Amino acid sequence: MSSVATGPPPLERLGAILAEIADIRHAEAVADWDSRVSMPHAGAQARAEVSATLTQLAHERLSSDELGELLSELAPENDEDSVDSALVRVTHRLWERARRVPTELAGELAHTSGVAVAAWDEAKASSDFALFAPHLERQLELKQRYIECFPETERPYDVLLEDYEEGMTTAEVADVFDRLKRELVPLVERHRDETVDDAVLRGPFPVAAQQEAGQRVLKAFGFDDVSWRIDETPHPFASKPGIGDIRLTTYTNEDDLTSLFSTMHEFGHGVYEHEVDTAFARTPLGGGTSSAIHESQSRTWENLVGRSPGFWRWFYPQLQGLFPDALAGIGESAFVSAVNAVRPGLIRGDADEVTYGLHIILRFELEQELLAGTVAVRDLPQVWNTRMQEYLGVDVPDDARGVLQDMHWSIGLFGYFPTYQLGNVASVQIWQRARADLGELEEQFARGEFSQLREWLREHIYRHGSRYPPRELLQRVTGSDLDPEPYLQYLRTKFA
Amino acid sequence: MTVPAFERLKNRLAEVDDLTKAASLLFWDQRVMMPPAGSEARAESMATVSRLAQERFVAPDIEQLLEDLRSLEESSDYDSFEASLIRATRRDFEKASRVPPELVGEMRRASTLALSAWGPAKEESNFEALRPHLETNLGLRHRYVECFDPGDETYDVLLDDYEPHMKTAEVREIFDELKEELVPLVKEIGDAGEIDDSFMTGEFDPARQRDLGLEIVRRFGYTDDEWRLDQTSHPFMSSPGAGDIRLTSNFRPNDLTSLFATMHEFGHGVYEWGVDPALARTPLGSGVSLGLHESQSRTWENLVGRSRSFWRFFYPRLQETFAEQLGSIEEEAFYRAVNKVQPSLIRIDADEVTYNMHIILRFELEQELIEDRLALRDLPAAWNARMDDYLGVAVPDDARGVLQDMHWAGGSFGYFPTCALGNVISVQIWERAREELGDLDERFERGEFGELRDWLTEHLYRMGRKFTPQETIERVTGSRIDAKPYVRYLREKLAPQPA
Repeated sequence: MSSVATGPPPLERLGAILAEIADIRHAEAVADWDSRVSMPHAGAQARAEVSATLTQLAHERLSSDELGELLSELAPENDEDSVDSALVRVTHRLWERARRVPTELAGELAHTSGVAVAAWDEAKASSDFALFAPHLERQLELKQRYIECFPETERPYDVLLEDYEEGMTTAEVADVFDRLKRELVPLVERHRDETVDDAVLRGPFPVAAQQEAGQRVLKAFGFDDVSWRIDETPHPFASKPGIGDIRLTTYTNEDDLTSLFSTMHEFGHGVYEHEVDTAFARTPLGGGTSSAIHESQSRTWENLVGRSPGFWRWFYPQLQGLFPDALAGIGESAFVSAVNAVRPGLIRGDADEVTYGLHIILRFELEQELLAGTVAVRDLPQVWNTRMQEYLGVDVPDDARGVLQDMHWSIGLFGYFPTYQLGNVASVQIWQRARADLGELEEQFARGEFSQLREWLREHIYRHGSRYPPRELLQRVTGSDLDPEPYLQYLRTKFA
Repeated sequence: MTVPAFERLKNRLAEVDDLTKAASLLFWDQRVMMPPAGSEARAESMATVSRLAQERFVAPDIEQLLEDLRSLEESSDYDSFEASLIRATRRDFEKASRVPPELVGEMRRASTLALSAWGPAKEESNFEALRPHLETNLGLRHRYVECFDPGDETYDVLLDDYEPHMKTAEVREIFDELKEELVPLVKEIGDAGEIDDSFMTGEFDPARQRDLGLEIVRRFGYTDDEWRLDQTSHPFMSSPGAGDIRLTSNFRPNDLTSLFATMHEFGHGVYEWGVDPALARTPLGSGVSLGLHESQSRTWENLVGRSRSFWRFFYPRLQETFAEQLGSIEEEAFYRAVNKVQPSLIRIDADEVTYNMHIILRFELEQELIEDRLALRDLPAAWNARMDDYLGVAVPDDARGVLQDMHWAGGSFGYFPTCALGNVISVQIWERAREELGDLDERFERGEFGELRDWLTEHLYRMGRKFTPQETIERVTGSRIDAKPYVRYLREKLAPQPA
């Protein structure tokens, strides 16, 4: 039964291979989610092995000759706009990139991440950068080897960026970020001496009541217990192992209300994945198209919805009911001002909409410098602290609240941070388009109704999964390429 | 530089083990964490990962390596890691190479879907909703059996997966002996008058039950660093990697059965926990058979957890926690209640004596199903008739009858007998431990269980799968599997005292 030419048609065989890869990725996603949410501490070493093996196996499948042959058989597709040709295009890109990377390197990258994230955890807990430094060195070394697999790329950083943001170059990102920096630095400066009454946001806010608040908001947004779950974890993220299985995480701290915003943020990631056309399941089209477009949606639900006056007109009375002590006597408008205050701070995850971009720009620059060797790992904390002072005017008291605050580098995510800020930029472009189509949304939000917005986003973005590359999708939805002006206009109007 | 053959074998087996561990994590997650709508995608993923594990294992290079390693195996000491690994791998390979990976994947997919259907079917007491899934599972099992040389009995093939080298006829012999001894014992106990256990049902806050369960297993050896304990409808243990032992229990609001389920699962967990770490990521790195595994869950649940000395230690804590329900109940009355022998409907709630009858019933029905002597359509009726026959109880509905266990939905046929074999083996090992350690009761009364755990680790757990189950039993106890110590134990503990 082996070499007879009458097998299933090539597209069907392609589907079978891709389904298998998706199944392995499903297992990887569960292994990763579990290691961050439910795994006993001592299981880390064994888990690193399991994850590395799964990654290696998926990589082997994705870079196989068999897949390459199928793709060349399928290449001359004329119907440009069909789902099948999108599938072939996306798969070809993934195959081509995977081919470049030896399977051992793919496994090593996964294994190193598993070990380094545990070291980072410990280093952060004791604010001891030295514990993490050797792992960061190792990650950088592996990233260099990874970059070398793509010798034709103009700038080393382009290789990394391409993994998260198809078709985006370092130069283009730098252009956008320069434009933002020119406006954001003075804007932050103007807010520096502003006294914000943040007594409003000082707790204690009992954890159980915050979780209840999160549940109510999520339910109104579209979360249900059949397809979703939400758990506590120190570093929130969202995950979709497979169809019908959307997992959000949040970190609830009784000192503040940040978990509510991080819950809405992760909902944005989750709803994007949840609404992808189910026909794309078990194919590379079955997830969001890029990190920036993903982030545009988390920021939409967190900021454009979750910090809007309309939203709070609906939810503030409930929140007050949940925290009768902490919020007694605080009016709705004082509260809305407080959750929209501009205040340079230490932590990216807690930053307001204006200063957030500067946290990203700092990381974007440092990543390039680390890779170029112009900043050495041992000097990184010092450089970090200097630049925080320069961009945001804040003194970093310790590495836990400085260079060790984010997990990304420990798991090998270099080139990922810029997509956060590109997401902010794209979110406002999409938002403007939605409002042009739907009209005023604030009134609906004020009634606790979010389904029209969600449905519009599903129709125009979510359902397409990875069918269109990010820039094409943006073009289709908004009629233009990535453009920082609407975002700047939004910030100016809101915060000037 | 070429990697030596043995190293290459180890590396390949490590990869296979990683995939097996991934599959067990997917299973645990499905039972404990996964939102219900995720079950179809999960079935696909589990099928693929199981099939890949099978494919990566049954590969020509492994066959070649096993061939090349014959001389190393022969020149190494029988007990050595090398000889044991090659020996066990060869046997696993010979079995696995008979089964096409597609069939493995298909069995896994079918059972994952069937498990998702089993929950609602049980809830609605609707056997017909599960039956098509069972038909599929059984059909696949038939195909599985056909992959092997016909044994003396069809059932031998299924049994061998859970209790390697054990024959159906041997099990039948042991079970006949049990039946012969236990049926009259149940009657004697019944005739002696009823024990009051009315205080065992009432309101028992599940969260407090969980706390108590944790308090107990922490005494036994559970640490937060390596273990976890979750709620699930049908308790099980899973170890998706070294240093990662997961217990589940069902904390029901109206009784205290969760305490025993927690101790039971602890027994499974501590066996995996105690395997020599040097065996991790090899096929030797887990318990050797389900019979041996169950012997350990029953040891911690029954031999420890239903002993007088254990309750002398723990009853004050329990009483204090549930003062309203148990405040006026004496320790002795409580002890008698948790050891009450009474025929009942549910296997996992059964006492130490009648439990075995539940197993024998399943053992017989499984053989009839796989040999096509019983149609699935007639299974509920056959079940109910035999429950009446063996235990004298009338089954009111399928939820409390044929649908009570997940095993058949999960594709496990041939598994149940290992539960009763475990009971038998547990007492053989227990007698040996007491010979060496002396009086354990005194230590249990003080809440000390470390010595027993260490003895079991040293004499049983650490061996993992280095030896066959029979060899393992003989190394621990000095004799073959034997029902007599178990029957003697039951009589001594539970037969009515002559007035």
